[in-house]
Amino acid sequence: MPRITFDNVRKNFGKSVVIEGFSADIADGEFLVLLGPSGCGKSTMLRMIAGLTDTSEGDISFDGESVNALEPRERNIAFVFQSYALYPHMSVLDNIAFPLIMDRFKPWYHLPILNSIVRRMIRNSPEVKDRVLEVAKILELEPLLDRRPRTLSGGQRQRVAVARALVRDPEVYLLDEPLSNLDAKLRTQMRAEITGLYRKVKKTFIYVTHDQVEAMTMASRIIVMDEGVIRQIGTPEEIYHSPADTFVARFIGSPPMNLIPGAVMSDRVVLPGKQELKVQNIPSVLGGQTLVGVRPETIRIASSAKESVRATVVSVENLGAETVLGFVFCNDANSDSLLTRDNQSTFFAKLEGSHSLTEGAEIFLTIDTTNIRWFDPDSGSAFLDLS
Amino acid sequence: MARQKSVVLAGTASSESPKKRGLSTTGLLPYLFISPALAYLAVFVLVPLARGVQLSFTDTRLINPTGGKSVGVDNYTNLLADDRFLNSLFVTITYTAAVVIFSLLLGTATAVLINKPFRGRTLARAILTFPYATPNVAVALIFIWMYNQSSGVFNQSIAVLGFGQVGWLEDPRYGMAAVVVATLWKVTPFVMLVMLAALQSVPDELYEATRVDGADGVSTFRAIVLPHLMPTIRLLALLMTIWSIRRFEIIYLLTGGGPVESTNTLVINIYQQAFNQQKLGVAAAIGVLGLLLSLVVTVVFFVVDRRATRKESQ
Amino acid sequence: MNRAGRKLGQLASRLLLIAFILIASFPIYWMFNTSLATDSELFGSGQKFVPQLQRLNEVPQNLAEIEILKLLGNSAFIATGVTVLSFILAVMAAYALSRFKFHGKGISGFFLFSTQMMPEALLVVPLFALFAGFGLLNDLTGLVLANTAFTMPVAVFIMKTAIDKIPYEIEESAKVDGCSPYGQLGMIVIPLILPSLAAAAVINFFDGWNEFLFANSFITDQDLWPASVGLAQFMGQYSTPLSTVMAAALVFTLPAIAFFLLVQRQIISGLTAGAVKG
Repeated sequence: MPRITFDNVRKNFGKSVVIEGFSADIADGEFLVLLGPSGCGKSTMLRMIAGLTDTSEGDISFDGESVNALEPRERNIAFVFQSYALYPHMSVLDNIAFPLIMDRFKPWYHLPILNSIVRRMIRNSPEVKDRVLEVAKILELEPLLDRRPRTLSGGQRQRVAVARALVRDPEVYLLDEPLSNLDAKLRTQMRAEITGLYRKVKKTFIYVTHDQVEAMTMASRIIVMDEGVIRQIGTPEEIYHSPADTFVARFIGSPPMNLIPGAVMSDRVVLPGKQELKVQNIPSVLGGQTLVGVRPETIRIASSAKESVRATVVSVENLGAETVLGFVFCNDANSDSLLTRDNQSTFFAKLEGSHSLTEGAEIFLTIDTTNIRWFDPDSGSAFLDLS
Repeated sequence: MARQKSVVLAGTASSESPKKRGLSTTGLLPYLFISPALAYLAVFVLVPLARGVQLSFTDTRLINPTGGKSVGVDNYTNLLADDRFLNSLFVTITYTAAVVIFSLLLGTATAVLINKPFRGRTLARAILTFPYATPNVAVALIFIWMYNQSSGVFNQSIAVLGFGQVGWLEDPRYGMAAVVVATLWKVTPFVMLVMLAALQSVPDELYEATRVDGADGVSTFRAIVLPHLMPTIRLLALLMTIWSIRRFEIIYLLTGGGPVESTNTLVINIYQQAFNQQKLGVAAAIGVLGLLLSLVVTVVFFVVDRRATRKESQ
Repeated sequence: MNRAGRKLGQLASRLLLIAFILIASFPIYWMFNTSLATDSELFGSGQKFVPQLQRLNEVPQNLAEIEILKLLGNSAFIATGVTVLSFILAVMAAYALSRFKFHGKGISGFFLFSTQMMPEALLVVPLFALFAGFGLLNDLTGLVLANTAFTMPVAVFIMKTAIDKIPYEIEESAKVDGCSPYGQLGMIVIPLILPSLAAAAVINFFDGWNEFLFANSFITDQDLWPASVGLAQFMGQYSTPLSTVMAAALVFTLPAIAFFLLVQRQIISGLTAGAVKG
């Protein structure tokens, strides 16, 4: 049974449409990542799942029941904010205990003196206290329980935010770019901690980020979004190897997938510079102009001039274990092509090992044609496998 | 003179190596800039203040402002035993407490209500600030008319409900309330404006976090809004207290200190002693005591504020 | 807290806000209403809730009878004098407090703001005596001088806060170009803080405009009464119709409200810069 369902969800702010016709199913226990550039609507989407923002149209259901009318608390979700949103005037312990206290709070507890007494009682009650300590232990926050958020480091604050989310044992965890305020080293560490947490609690995680590395390493499935529209839903492998359109192709991967304009013939593709690339199994639906999608790792330096393309080196980034090579295509010796360095875009190859190449040098490259992805130059969509 | 000299020496010595960017310690220049203002205050505040203190030890009368013999601390001892003075002290404290408490409550409530954007919010906020922009004399005049026993709108309205005519400004039971209400009308918008600015510095995500945690409006207010506002509340409490001690026009024009001295605050008392009783010396003594009261309040504020700020940031 | 509860809470908030708005605007509306009523209505048959707009054209004549222009003129004179004098003194003092470090800086600051704590009533008596000696008693200039002592520190506070916000680099580069501190202040700083200067000017102007205590105590000549004193006097008399007094009060009030609205944003940011912490 799908756990969370989106049925044609739409969101407008005034006249501008922020999210269009969003439909998807999220299975129970998935680690789903909403991935996309800034402003694509992913945070808005997350807030609609949480109930912090209303949908303009469409339905969101948990286990088949619509939650549109439910407040965040009633949806039994937990939310980790980008800026952590820790309560600044409470200690770490009180921050973590807050949801539990609110759970047990009745409206008449607001009476002046009754208020402090009841809150203290609840705070010290075994269910609450034990649970808080339990969670604090999991996230190694025990020494920090009496501190105020102001005195904590970024990583510590993040863990408190996670603890506060964890403490209520929710059904769904929603995380809004939780790692973007951390430095790179801490990010890697926290990524592992979040994944570890996910494995431990075995609940649905919905995670928003613009960082494709986070998405690729943590997700069981990714929804790639751009300007309010879903571009592709799929597992990391699917997204990587079979991008649905040029946007996804270029968003994932560093350096991004090369989109080489080419003309399709029966058994080969004519590349810039009128160079020819022999390709097996060209799908018959193709014809005319196309964009050839080639991942940088599938390009190698050729051992011989046969079965290769000629290229000019534009840039070299030697990272030790690998080298990123920027290149442009050369004109074919036999053609009358007028291709120059300035009238084409640079493509990238990711080579294993350390290579020292000089700018402007001519080299020969082979492209692994078994992993090519074909794109329609006008619409940007990929031609799907027909085999 | 000696002080200035040493500063000049210190100034010239260090002018070769300016210490902090933006803050120059070069000798005479700062004094040139600030001395007109300080001199002005010295002449128009310090000197009269000193004179006032001096006057408070004499029996000077209005007819002869420069004459008058010394009476030592008689003015003070008489005052402290005088029922009238003690009454005015009590009245001042009551008036101040009422104005401070209710202006903070109402002002904060209004600020909270107007914090969330909605259509027409700018207009609403503008209207809410009109009372503060209205001159004190105008406030007093319209309230005098509204409080009018036979023809004022308040009594006319409650007559419809069946109540009799209330002497808002004539009945000792209501005099203070009437004056406090008029004051609150004028003063609450200021509290609202300052509170509004403070409220708008609460990050949105905090509100969202409380929603996720299932807190209702009151709990949210208690958990994140009120603690955030506390420094501002303390400062406003100080300002409102000082202003209440100083307030003159509204009370003077509405009740003149009556009825039966139920609204006879310290400053009204000063005015009466000086211009009705013609006892300048006594008036000055009351003034000095009033100033001491303000100073005590300010000191208390700073102590409380420092302690609270320390507690909040540990 | 469920959706229904939220909506109910929102409705209650909205109603409460409307109540507050009505309370805030009613007295001013009533001033207007009263200014159009006749004495027989006011004291006899009962004041109507709806303004009697047909009498609107009588108002200017009534106002002329009490010489409103002279009253307002005196008020304007005091207010303008206070504003100009405060400005001159305050600008330099604010610059000194913001940019310089010097012995006695703290005390100077404290002293400047001490007048905010002081009841004017305390100073009325000695200033009365002082002015009597110099013949400044029945004189509008005397009022300007007395009031400035209280308004100038407010201007200093607003200006200093504004100057604090400007990075010193701009003045530094002027200094490198050979500009004197006076030049820095006049040519660089002042143009940059114009909005705050306007706010300070407006606040000072209305402190002078509204002032009552000193005016009432020092001025005995009826021709020199500012509007604040004049209005208070008329209120007690029976010779002036209440409607005229109210009309005058309204005319006295409206400029204050208008200007306050115009510079509202500046005033708030100026006042709250130091007040709002955290």
